[in-house]
Amino acid sequence: MAHFDTEYQRLEASYSDSPPGEENLLMHVPEGAKSQWHHIENLDLFFQRVYNLHQKNGFTCMLLGEIFELVQLLFVVGFTVFLANCVDYDILFANKFVNHTDSSKVTLPDAFLPVDVCSARIRDNAFVIFVLIISGVFWLHRLVKFIYNVCCYWEIRSFYINALKMTMSELPYATWQEVQARIVEIQKEHQICIHKKELTELDIYHRILRFKNYMVAMVNKSLLPVRFRLPALGESVFYTRGLKYNFELIFFWGPGSLFENEWSLKSEYKRGGNRLELADKLASRILWIGIANLLLCPVILVWQILYAFFSYTEVIKREPGSLGARCWSLYGRCYLRHFNELDHELMSRLSKGYKAASKYMNCFLSPLLTVVAKNVAFFAGSLLAVLIALTIYDEDVLAVEHVLSSITLLGVCITVCRSFIPDKHMVFCPEQLLRVILSHIHYMPDHWQGNAHRYETRDQFSQLFQYKAVFILEELISPVVTPIILIFSLRRKSLEIIDFFRNFTVEVVGVGDTCSFAQMDIRQHGHPAWMSAGKTEASIYQQAEDGKTELSLMHFAITNPQWQPPQETTHFISQLKERVHREATGVTSDTHPLLLSESEPRSLIANLLVGPSTLTSIHFGRDSSLTNHAAAGLSDGASALRSLSPISSSLHLRGSLSATHRASGHTSTMSKAMAGSGTDARTVSSGSSIWEGQLTSLVLSEYASTEMSIHALYMHELHKQQSRGELSRHTWHRQDSDESSDSIPDEVRSEPNPHSRHFPRSHTFPTTVPSPSAIPTSASAISSTTLGQEGASSHNSSSQRRHSGSTTESFGAGGKVVRSARGVPMGGWAEEGQAAPRHHDTLPEESSEDDMPPYIHKIT
Amino acid sequence: MNCRSEVLEVTVEARQVEEAMLALLHTILLHRSSGKFHYKKEGTYSIGTVGTIDIDCDFIDFTFVRVSSEELDRVIRKAVSEFKDALSGDGMGQISLEFYQKKKSRWPFSDECIPWEVWSIKVNVVNLANEQERQICREKVGEKLGEKVINVVEVINRHEYLPKMPTQSEVDNVFDTSLKDVQPYLYKITYQITDSLGTSVSTTMRRLIKDTLAL
Repeated sequence: MAHFDTEYQRLEASYSDSPPGEENLLMHVPEGAKSQWHHIENLDLFFQRVYNLHQKNGFTCMLLGEIFELVQLLFVVGFTVFLANCVDYDILFANKFVNHTDSSKVTLPDAFLPVDVCSARIRDNAFVIFVLIISGVFWLHRLVKFIYNVCCYWEIRSFYINALKMTMSELPYATWQEVQARIVEIQKEHQICIHKKELTELDIYHRILRFKNYMVAMVNKSLLPVRFRLPALGESVFYTRGLKYNFELIFFWGPGSLFENEWSLKSEYKRGGNRLELADKLASRILWIGIANLLLCPVILVWQILYAFFSYTEVIKREPGSLGARCWSLYGRCYLRHFNELDHELMSRLSKGYKAASKYMNCFLSPLLTVVAKNVAFFAGSLLAVLIALTIYDEDVLAVEHVLSSITLLGVCITVCRSFIPDKHMVFCPEQLLRVILSHIHYMPDHWQGNAHRYETRDQFSQLFQYKAVFILEELISPVVTPIILIFSLRRKSLEIIDFFRNFTVEVVGVGDTCSFAQMDIRQHGHPAWMSAGKTEASIYQQAEDGKTELSLMHFAITNPQWQPPQETTHFISQLKERVHREATGVTSDTHPLLLSESEPRSLIANLLVGPSTLTSIHFGRDSSLTNHAAAGLSDGASALRSLSPISSSLHLRGSLSATHRASGHTSTMSKAMAGSGTDARTVSSGSSIWEGQLTSLVLSEYASTEMSIHALYMHELHKQQSRGELSRHTWHRQDSDESSDSIPDEVRSEPNPHSRHFPRSHTFPTTVPSPSAIPTSASAISSTTLGQEGASSHNSSSQRRHSGSTTESFGAGGKVVRSARGVPMGGWAEEGQAAPRHHDTLPEESSEDDMPPYIHKIT
Repeated sequence: MNCRSEVLEVTVEARQVEEAMLALLHTILLHRSSGKFHYKKEGTYSIGTVGTIDIDCDFIDFTFVRVSSEELDRVIRKAVSEFKDALSGDGMGQISLEFYQKKKSRWPFSDECIPWEVWSIKVNVVNLANEQERQICREKVGEKLGEKVINVVEVINRHEYLPKMPTQSEVDNVFDTSLKDVQPYLYKITYQITDSLGTSVSTTMRRLIKDTLAL
């Protein structure tokens, strides 16, 4: 067969259904998944892990820490069992002689029992077996958890390295704000969260702190049963880690909890319809968990004791004084925490306040105890001295039985006694100390101010700041008390809890269900007595107590200067900042126009004294009380500020700087002003007046905390002015939340008390109507010029202001009436839907609850 | 959850369930499918064509467009008829179409399926008394479905997250490549009947374990 060359040829086999040639026309280049970080499934967990890894200073540190913890656990259990069963104490105490052939010395191995005896003893002892099994199970659990975590955090580690471009070695030196800024940056590129193009700082905080915000809000609204009135001890707080764990188990993640998953509340809890039924369900679940706790009580108890023993005895041995040392209680941490405040922020704040707080508590040493302690210390000391002297003379004294132990005991005794003897050079000035504490902890009930010297105040403060020994004791009895609280106290609150979660949960796009308090929306949750009067539409039920919304907002805005809050919120923040700045500049710019570098240190301090002390003196002036009170207030505020003095100068500087910015027409952003102040404070100390310079975010955050302190003090001061005359309502005395939400509205809303009520109303027009801010500002201006006759002049000015305030009263009254008519507690439920802010949707079911009884609490 | 979720609600008669579901699911899938990818050596690819076909409903006055792929149709039909059987008679049910991405995991864990978009169609089945009502319902459901289709298109038109186009090795993580003539994004169809709306035991257990393991 001849081979033909024809034009007909076999086509290249191709299943391509596109016409030939098109391949060349339409070519696509796959983007590929260059990063694996787009679209992460569980962002809550992811951000939490990113934060944890940052807090634990990188992967290696975390790994080592966890491994050591595991080993420690094995050691604790093993060593305890060994000590209890395998040591022949008779040999150690030389009650029994060992017949050695070679030497008479007793060695440690002599005291150990042989292995077979030892294991037989262990096998016979049921209790030891029980402990061993529990610890074994616990240890295995920890081990599995550890392995799981290593895998998870390895991923986070590669996220840091590949996506955030941070190596593990530089992680300990990067602030969280830096990490966060990078995450926000990353989102634009990788779309970690698919709902939005850009993440905000608040989104990240919301996700990390979702449940903590709920807990803070519940403590703030006194929903959790942690305060008790005990017959012998009076009012006391009981809140331990075990209890906290149980609360979280019930609400957030346990089987059948209120949350469906990490980011959404179950839909039936969002509807008001079958709330009674749901409350019943919750109550029975609490009952079961309480019973489970009761059954597991011995297990938990054994564990707690073991743990406490090994983590604390070592400390007690090393420094006996540490038992007297105090710590912030768990309740205190919840009470003092802002909404959206991360652990490290809270810790640094509380640590700063620690010194002042312990000083304050030490002011209250009982004189009786002091006398006793002094004498005990005297006798113990003389015995100790003799013993030591004898030992120095001839060390054989040590060989006498119990000499060494009595020396140790006497030493411990003296140390304990010494902690009861006050420092000779210490001055009793509780009011000042409390003010310093306030500048760090940012929250305190109203009635503490001016009552700092009272024993009741001290007792209440000790609920926040307890002895470590008490803390340990509470932890130890917690397994027994927790089930009782769950069964008898929490169960009764189940309806309130259901209502709380329904009313205070909002769904935010890209975040999921969060606590609405954590939105820090002044309009929804502001408290009229805390500067948000006129802006807030919240009913009593919705208002956060103690100015939590306002203070949290300020705190968040200051720690995250890049954050862009919604419109009204921005307004509130800038207004407040401006006021505080005016406060600061009103003094500095008058006396020393800007050039603080030239001022001597003395005048700088003088400035510091003038600033907020005018505030206090004004307040006393307004009170029209005695002048010596005013003087007291003055020194009081002054010393508070002086304690901050190394850094508080920065505020003045910052204030003055931002004033110049404004004057020169710059719209100085927050960060700019802060940048200026940061460098400023440094240049002042070095004596040069160069404004610009490099700044790190660390400097920024350091000054931010000072700025927050000043703002907190200022807000408390203003609050004090505003709430004067108004019926004070504070969380402190509230035993039950239903009391407050029922009784307060009638009094506060309907009582004609125009004078105090008037001020909040006028806030919105700071230029025309004198607001409380106008008083301190003008007063400080006056007082700075005429430092000598400060008291008198501020008196005058304040009284003038007060008159002018009361003249404008009549205008404001109309608005007030409308407001009070609307502000009945019903609004707590009915207004929820319409008061929704624009950027998130409230749960649609809220509005359909009109048929519900207004006084939910009364049904219980 | 880190995924978009869209909810569509329809009220239909029992015999309309299948067609209504098919109409909606196919409409969504039409927009979430592409032609087969043909990768070239240089790391580029071309996209094959996809045909479409008009489907007329028997029990509803409605016509919808679907991808002309018999295989895909068979898969969807199977899921829908299962749903219909489970629904059996009147009641409420929900069928969800979930688009997901696979993520390779390290050895001890299985591959993760991470959803990025979930369409939930809630169905309310009603019983009608007479032929006249049925006739009205026939038209009304048709109108409603038309609205829903426009709704779907609106949602899809938004510029929102879509998985990035994969390279050849990763194409299975994004697209369902099992079909010969069309390549939809990886999807999963699940359904729930109202009686058993609570989360299943297995998911609860899985969560419990995960939670206890978390730091």
